[in-house]
Amino acid sequence: MMLKSETQSWKTATFFFFKSWEGLLVIILAIILSANMFLVPQFLTLQNQINLFQLSNEKIIVALAMTFIIISAEIDLSVASVMGLSACAFAYLVQGGMPAGVAIVICLFVGAAAGAINAFWIAYIGIPSLVVTLAMLIGFRGLARVLLEDKGIGNFPEWVNALGRDGFIGPFPLAFIVFVILLIIFGITLHRTGFGRQVYVIGNNADVARYSGVNVVRIRSILFIMSGTVSALAGLFYAARLASVRGDAANGFELDIITMVLLGGVSIFGGKGSMLGVLLSILIVLNLRNGMALENITGHIQTAVIGILLISSVLIPNLIENLRISNPTKKKTISVSGE
Amino acid sequence: MAQPPENIPILELRNVSKNFALTAALSDISWRVKAGEVHAVVGENGAGKSTLIKIITGVHQPDSGEVLVEGKKVTIQNTQVAQQLGIAAIFQEPMVFPDLDVAENIFISHRKMGAVMNWRKLYADAELLIDRIGVTLDVRRAASGLTLAEQQTVEIARALSLNVKVLIMDEPTASLSAHEVDRLMAIVAALKERGVAVIYISHRLDEVFRIADRVTVLRDGRHISTNDVALVTETSMIKDMVGRAIDQFALKKVANDHGDKVLSVKNLGRENIYEDISFDLHRGEVLCFAGLIGSKRTDIGLALFGVQPAQAGTIEVGGVPSTITNPKEAMALGIAYVSEDRRKLGLAMTMPIFANASLPSLKKFLSHLGMIDHNAEYAMADNYRTQLAIRSPNVNIDVGKLSGGNQQKVMLAKWLETHPRILILDEPTRGVDVGAKAEVHNIIRDLAKQGVAVIVISSDLPEVLALADRILVMREGRQMGIFDIANASQENVMALATGQSKPRVAA
Amino acid sequence: MMMILLRRLHPQTLRVLALALVLVLVILFFSSQIDNYFSPRMLNRIATSAAVILPIAIGQALVVITRNVDLSVGSLVGIVAYLIGDFLGKHQGLDPFSTLVLALSLGGICGAINGTLVAYGRVPSIIATLGTLALFRTFLVEYSGARTITTESLPPWIVEFPQAVLFSIGNFEVRAMVVIALVAALIFGLALSKLRLVRKLYAVGSNPDAAVMSGINSKRVVFMAFVLSGVLAGLSGLIFLAKFGNITVVAGLGFELKSIAAVVVGGVNIFGGSGTILGVLFGTILVDTIDNSLTRWAVVSEFWRDALLGMLILTAVAADTFMARSFVRMKRKNALKPKTLPPEIRNGK
Repeated sequence: MMLKSETQSWKTATFFFFKSWEGLLVIILAIILSANMFLVPQFLTLQNQINLFQLSNEKIIVALAMTFIIISAEIDLSVASVMGLSACAFAYLVQGGMPAGVAIVICLFVGAAAGAINAFWIAYIGIPSLVVTLAMLIGFRGLARVLLEDKGIGNFPEWVNALGRDGFIGPFPLAFIVFVILLIIFGITLHRTGFGRQVYVIGNNADVARYSGVNVVRIRSILFIMSGTVSALAGLFYAARLASVRGDAANGFELDIITMVLLGGVSIFGGKGSMLGVLLSILIVLNLRNGMALENITGHIQTAVIGILLISSVLIPNLIENLRISNPTKKKTISVSGE
Repeated sequence: MAQPPENIPILELRNVSKNFALTAALSDISWRVKAGEVHAVVGENGAGKSTLIKIITGVHQPDSGEVLVEGKKVTIQNTQVAQQLGIAAIFQEPMVFPDLDVAENIFISHRKMGAVMNWRKLYADAELLIDRIGVTLDVRRAASGLTLAEQQTVEIARALSLNVKVLIMDEPTASLSAHEVDRLMAIVAALKERGVAVIYISHRLDEVFRIADRVTVLRDGRHISTNDVALVTETSMIKDMVGRAIDQFALKKVANDHGDKVLSVKNLGRENIYEDISFDLHRGEVLCFAGLIGSKRTDIGLALFGVQPAQAGTIEVGGVPSTITNPKEAMALGIAYVSEDRRKLGLAMTMPIFANASLPSLKKFLSHLGMIDHNAEYAMADNYRTQLAIRSPNVNIDVGKLSGGNQQKVMLAKWLETHPRILILDEPTRGVDVGAKAEVHNIIRDLAKQGVAVIVISSDLPEVLALADRILVMREGRQMGIFDIANASQENVMALATGQSKPRVAA
Repeated sequence: MMMILLRRLHPQTLRVLALALVLVLVILFFSSQIDNYFSPRMLNRIATSAAVILPIAIGQALVVITRNVDLSVGSLVGIVAYLIGDFLGKHQGLDPFSTLVLALSLGGICGAINGTLVAYGRVPSIIATLGTLALFRTFLVEYSGARTITTESLPPWIVEFPQAVLFSIGNFEVRAMVVIALVAALIFGLALSKLRLVRKLYAVGSNPDAAVMSGINSKRVVFMAFVLSGVLAGLSGLIFLAKFGNITVVAGLGFELKSIAAVVVGGVNIFGGSGTILGVLFGTILVDTIDNSLTRWAVVSEFWRDALLGMLILTAVAADTFMARSFVRMKRKNALKPKTLPPEIRNGK
């Protein structure tokens, strides 16, 4: 809270920016970029830059939706399973002879329905999202496996594979373009609209929102249905890019997605965070992974680095705060009346 | 218990200072508490009372100065150390473990109990302690089902079991009914008999006069005065607290002239909570709901605001029969409800003033495509800041950093911006200091003058008498009667609220 | 009648009874669907598979009671199973007891890492253990270099251990493995009701603020919960090693979800503060019964297992939520009856 700017003046605002979380991310990103450029000659080539996005395009699309969910003080652990379910449903339907275009629409509805199931239990019944989406992480993945059992299915129409593989506008693949469009729309929605403001207030204190006439149930439902739909869309991109789908498609992606959001400075307790921070952290994670891949570091070590990043993104601010305050017990929130 | 020699205070602070970046600090406090006295500490919000408690209980460490217990210099690093020194605290919100039973709640942190629980002994010891306090309470009950007063009893028993020498009570009566307050006073007296020093923090000056031996006034983190209660008057105490004399409660003698009927409630009821509530409310009128805690006044407010709709009866707003099932519908009818619980239900504490102020009326500040017109929003909030005298340099500050009184004003701003016809205020001055209280009262009077129909739910009888045109008294979910202010007195309202006199037909 | 029962019984007891009833119904259902369901083989299969999960479910319960969650237990089981298997391959002479101590310590150390992050680093447990879930697994993958531990490399005592039968009830042979898991349950069941130190888990989960104010060292208690969860994951890892013999780097993958399922189904409050080991035991058995029965049930594909497991967790939590709500409502009803204060209170003494 010390990091937050409290004044309107631009001069001090820029000063505070570099003391803020986003400022810190910019510095980290700069370091990673220079290190990559220094270590890997082909880093700055356009192809590598596109590759860098393409390999994680599905995850970063879902991270945008996850930002809303976490700011509203909820979590959606089921996103990767919904991605998998949508990818498997697509493969299943196409294999059954359905035109791919129709299958895509159905899969988006499947994602929306999956989100609606989450929303029903979380928003209407009031079960914590951690539990609901954990159950659905298992449940939706189970459904994906039911559809494909232990087979791998490919043979999609060529235009589907091309969408996943080739540039759509210039060298940019469709998934990347969708990411950029969603980034702009979601960024504006979160920071400039009444809806975004209400999401922040719900994350801050849902009861306050309710007592102020905010329809908390509806907003939560919208968020989870949105998360499901976006995940399904990402799952389709994943299927198209790999040109073949198995039951474990996108398994474990929630770790990367949640890491990107939290590293972006979004508080796991809700109510705080910005799209800019998430964008910066996406760039950091992608460049880090890309740099490591170019340096021939295995995917597993990359995952470990992501895990360390995830923990550090919360641990380091805590440690800094501990250092600032001589006595660590002080921070304990104890509600004492009066003040 | 061994008494220390008469001249050595059981607890002494010498030149204690504490600084925070944002909240109230203590500067150079020197202060003594004697064994066997009830020592009241009063002061406005932000005066440093909470910081003082936190230093004594080891939650905070002083930046400079020393703390002495029974004449020996001590360092209280944490609450465990405080406990070993015989210092315990009871807070307004009782600190119990809802999932554990009463006995275990009392003894959970006891080293003496040994590593292995002896449940039979545990229950026997707990019963003994509860008996000693002089109340009846099943020690095998889970704490989740206890009333606030019962939970406090558990905390007192916990403190007693630790052979407490200094017991701090922070606003212990804030949520208690009159009976429960009486019982608590008796317990405090008994503790004093046993030689325990009780540090009693309260906003209710009448309580201070009732039980305290000495009273210390803090203001702006400084120690202003410590006196025998016999030697001070309410006026002098308030003067010490605010640094100036305040005409606290100008008693309202005559009801305002009021206009058309805006709200008519008939036979309102909700199963097992309240029944048969009927009243009218007019433009420019202040109707106060008086009664003890637990008399279900808040539930009526929640019903009118649609949070917890009534199951029986009718509500007419502006002559039109209305069903109100959620806050949005209530707001559409021009009803606003300012909750008693600022922290949990009132304000988003880590969001700035302007965002809180615009929340219920956000629609007004939306331009095309649902974008917020930030300039208009900011100007509105800043306008209220000057109008209501909210003490904050600008409206970008998080409301959590404001004092209770200023938070209350932000709540008012938030709801005034919806331009309500009917404004329901639930305990509008709870936890608000004396100075801000008078300001809030003036705001309420002004609103009524402007034609707003106001309902004030309050447990503070002087406040009720100072604000109301009419008073509706409730007891255990039933309407006991309605007074015109001309016929109301502290005595006849209290008699109805406590059930000592029979319900009467509306005046 | 029902009301009297409801009022007499502690809600937790009621919850366990309801669970037991569901378990019986599930077993009856499958016995009508699957031929020869009550065969010793089937019972053994369920019992041994539950024996692997039960220790981590207990550990998970301890952590959940403190309002936290341990998502790393699956990776921990993998690490312990692999590393101990590897170590035994190199040191054939290690006796069973030392092996046990080694496994538990290894788990405990990993648990201490989680505990430090959560209790002292103030990292929310879901984040900390989601991170260590990845870290521990990566460590295992890197360490193993894609080698597999095989039965041949292990000393004979551990290979024969799964077949070890302590005693028989009729046709049903009680395996030593199952007994070890049950003993762990018994120990922790007793500890949770008898040991003051362990009771503090409930206190911390029930009201963390109150715990601090009443002089409980919450950080140490939370740390302890994670260490114990690690130790129990160590036990699971050892049982896993003995049961399967062949260990790859994916050992224990997804066990965190199974353990959470067992705990939640077993009636441990996901918000902390309450739960019993007996409930966890029933929860584990129920989850494993369904799991193992589905693979034998001809009507649906075995791939339905996970989908059903997800539904089961949700149903259990939903049932708890509704039960808690009606309990509160019932309580309010009783509370409203006008109470007359005893005279000694009314007079203020």
